[in-house]
Amino acid sequence: MTAVDAPAVPGGTPAATPRAPRGRAGLLAVAVVLVLAAVPFFLAPFATTTLTRILVFALFAVSLDLLVGVTGLPSLGHAAYFGAGAYAAGWVSINVTAQAPVPLLVGAAVGAVAAALTGWITVRSAGVFFLMLTLAIGESVQQLANTWDSVTGGANGLTGVPSVRIAGEPLTNAGFVYWYVLAVFLLGFAIVWLVARSPFGAALRGIRDNEPRMRALGYPTALYKYGVFVLAGGVAGIAGSLLAAQARFVALSDLGFLTASFALLAVIIGGAGSLWGACLGAALVILIRDALGPSLDGHGTLVLGVVFVLVVYLLPRGAAGFRLPRRNRS
Amino acid sequence: MADHPLLSRRRLLGVFGAAASLPVLSACGSSVGGGGGGDGGGGGGGGNTVRVGLVVPQSGVYAALGTDMQRGWQLWLDGNGGRFGDYTVETVLADEGESPQTGVPAVQKVLQSDGVDVVVGIVNSATALGVRDLLAESKKVLIVANAGAEDVTGAGRTPYIWRSSFTNGQISAAMGTHLAESGFGEGVYAIAPDYAAGTEVISYFTRAFEAGGGRVVGSAQTPFGSTTDFQPFLTGIQGSGARATFCFYSGAEAISFVQQYAAFGLAESIPLYGSGFLTEGNVLPQQGAAALGVQNTLHYSDQLDTPENAAFVDAYTAAHGESPSCFAVQAYDAANVLNRALGTATALDGDAVVTALEGVGTIDDSPRGPWTFENQTPRQNIYLREVQDSGGTLVNAVVQDLGPQGQPAAV
Amino acid sequence: MLVSVLNGLAIGSLLFILAVGLSLVFGMMDVLNLAHGALFLGGAYLGATFSGSWGGFLAAFGIAAVGGLVAGALLSLMTAPLRRRSHLDQALLTLGVAFVVAELLIIAFGDDPLSAAAPPALDGSVTVLGAVYPTYRLVLIGVGAVLAVAVYLVVERTRVGALVRATVADREMVAAVGIDNRLVTTAVFAVGSLLATTAGVLGGPIYGARPGLDATVLILALVVVVIGGLGSVRGALVGALIIGQVDTLGRVLLPELASFVLFGALALVLVLRPQGLFGGPASVGAR
Repeated sequence: MTAVDAPAVPGGTPAATPRAPRGRAGLLAVAVVLVLAAVPFFLAPFATTTLTRILVFALFAVSLDLLVGVTGLPSLGHAAYFGAGAYAAGWVSINVTAQAPVPLLVGAAVGAVAAALTGWITVRSAGVFFLMLTLAIGESVQQLANTWDSVTGGANGLTGVPSVRIAGEPLTNAGFVYWYVLAVFLLGFAIVWLVARSPFGAALRGIRDNEPRMRALGYPTALYKYGVFVLAGGVAGIAGSLLAAQARFVALSDLGFLTASFALLAVIIGGAGSLWGACLGAALVILIRDALGPSLDGHGTLVLGVVFVLVVYLLPRGAAGFRLPRRNRS
Repeated sequence: MADHPLLSRRRLLGVFGAAASLPVLSACGSSVGGGGGGDGGGGGGGGNTVRVGLVVPQSGVYAALGTDMQRGWQLWLDGNGGRFGDYTVETVLADEGESPQTGVPAVQKVLQSDGVDVVVGIVNSATALGVRDLLAESKKVLIVANAGAEDVTGAGRTPYIWRSSFTNGQISAAMGTHLAESGFGEGVYAIAPDYAAGTEVISYFTRAFEAGGGRVVGSAQTPFGSTTDFQPFLTGIQGSGARATFCFYSGAEAISFVQQYAAFGLAESIPLYGSGFLTEGNVLPQQGAAALGVQNTLHYSDQLDTPENAAFVDAYTAAHGESPSCFAVQAYDAANVLNRALGTATALDGDAVVTALEGVGTIDDSPRGPWTFENQTPRQNIYLREVQDSGGTLVNAVVQDLGPQGQPAAV
Repeated sequence: MLVSVLNGLAIGSLLFILAVGLSLVFGMMDVLNLAHGALFLGGAYLGATFSGSWGGFLAAFGIAAVGGLVAGALLSLMTAPLRRRSHLDQALLTLGVAFVVAELLIIAFGDDPLSAAAPPALDGSVTVLGAVYPTYRLVLIGVGAVLAVAVYLVVERTRVGALVRATVADREMVAAVGIDNRLVTTAVFAVGSLLATTAGVLGGPIYGARPGLDATVLILALVVVVIGGLGSVRGALVGALIIGQVDTLGRVLLPELASFVLFGALALVLVLRPQGLFGGPASVGAR
């Protein structure tokens, strides 16, 4: 049993194959970051904007992966914290200031607080019940946003969010917005990666694989689950503030069941527990929805559904990531 | 812990990545050269061509409206040689979808990736408001061919956004004035969905109705897009003592509301009035007999008895086998307006087009009757229509011409 | 007020027909069939396409019934290989299927919302104690009642029903006793899906058919199932009636708060009594 197997590299290579030397994977990561950073120099603005959208959704998916893949808590309501962070960041940008770290911090804080307020009832359930509970919470938060239209704009959404400002200068160029989002994305990803690598992360994986045993070992599992729920909510809030900065509007649907399902799809497709996998899954979802969708008359979701079904079937047995605590495990 | 022999997750993702990168090859360029955000893609058609981005819904709830708008647009082009002034028109179609989540990227795409000169379309008001900054920064003109929120040419205005459709308040205020003059002053119930357009419709209706001496005895706003059973609200209407009901619904909600209004017995005792979208387009056949007698106000009806409209309806019916809706006319007029503007514009850039639009004057050959721009949105005739049975088909017959109305002053 | 109560009963009846299948499948196999809403939508589109005459209505009903059986059997087959893995994988599989089915329905029937007329003779209204109420909804209450009795009789009085109840109560024991209930589980899945599609046809004159209805209806069904208790027919009935009333009366009395009440109730039940009002053993919640 590889319950507390802490992968040495992001995403984790399967234990059966020889681990790639740490240096090689690290080099790969650096190369990827460099390529991403150079993107605005060789991609047209629309493609850069699409990539920006991918990065925003990827950070959201990574925060969900922390819950689903690392801790084994499948949430269908995570978009509530993503949207809460987006609305908060957007509102602050319009009414207070759009200066760089402020909307970001507000988004993170609101996401974390929303998760804290709603998370305490979720930590006592697991598995499919957790799924349904988070679904109910997500729908309630969306309903709240709809009703509270003086702040959120209701069904019309929050429009007219100004560009983020760095040192007083608004970022209107698609390339500059991309760099801002990339920087925050890397920061958020690093936070999640460090948590996953830490002893805390190892304990989370233990909870994922066999919660009763962890409790028997003396870990306060409910507290750990609550902690990761709040952290994931905060990171989702950061991703939400990026959404507000990139799209410059926030819609009710950003909080809802569909967005949450797409994120879950992204995480599963990419491989739950593998953080960079969640990013690739997010890229796939956004590309299918935005790039492929229009050429298929808007039926990109069909392809997504088929891919999802295939992935669920072809998921290798016992892959790192998706085991729930089973009863009577000897 | 063996992976599947042939198909590991890495390989699967690699295949997807390769497939996805193919369109990326066509996306090469530079995102940081020369200036502001929306500025990419260069200057459109060049030479004697004008590139227009037609952003309308092709999927989702509003797809039918998008189809009508495309048809209206194309009808004008087909009947006028496909030219605006001296420029040949090249239309680039983009799918607005049903929300700003897809609509704003669609506008971004036509501006940045396709390099259009002018954007036309937009059904969803939230999308229209959401692209405001985009258009102002890239200095390109948008002619809104549907979205009715007052803010588009009101609080959120920019010189670059014009409208060839209507304002929500314009249409409901006309009904408010009419009802006050028609003996329903003692009590009317107002009901609409709970979103910005619904709130706008009710507030302008109420103001006009009360200015005419009327009294609104109750109002309700139903959850937007998710209400299919109106019984609780219908009970509320019956209990309020209202003598008539004014409502604003469109699409699926219009069908359900009108049908249930009749099924629960209100139609006989409390006559139903509405903003014209209640019975416009493809909802009318679905409502069936339940809609007979419902009076509503709108800036167009296919039953208008003018030579321009007769020609328009004949051409549209010949091409598509069904009668045009107001959405088709809005797009048709957008083309009309652009033709007039580009006939006098000095160049194709946004500022020149804006100057030309300001000098367009009265559009006197529109199927809806003569109209002009007032604050970048139409000042047009509003018609009182009634659903009648015309030889087996339900139509919105024109009962009265309520005269020209502009965008009402903000409430 | 009478009209509202009647309406709550009508909606409740419809919800019962929809939710009982979901409840039994969940109780028996721990499979959360997230495609249940899409099945309802399929039935609704069928009803809308053939609406207007008795022949059409019955044809839609029949096709929906057969389609539901087939779909349920297929879903049972599809989730079978995943039964060794985890209940969550099965739920996720049904989520993927739900997406695919919903999109296929849009491709087949278009983006427009469709309305379904009640069959002739039922499309009028009757006066009940001074209030006017659509005939069709009254009939729906009757149909729901008849179905409730039928399902109750099957589950409580037949051998198959006993098997179903036993599996809900203690799956391992049933297997240990030597009974192969794979056929029964497939049958329950099939019948549950049949109930979902026919509920779609029956609900057409009230809900119509439009993209997105599957998600709305799925969430309502989940609330009913959780509150009523998994695997319990009585629970599905009580839950459905409660939710029907809450939804209707709630929207009359407290329009802004109605949805919160619904989800608040769901959350409350999941926290305090995860097995629902009439659900199975308490261990269900710990899984």
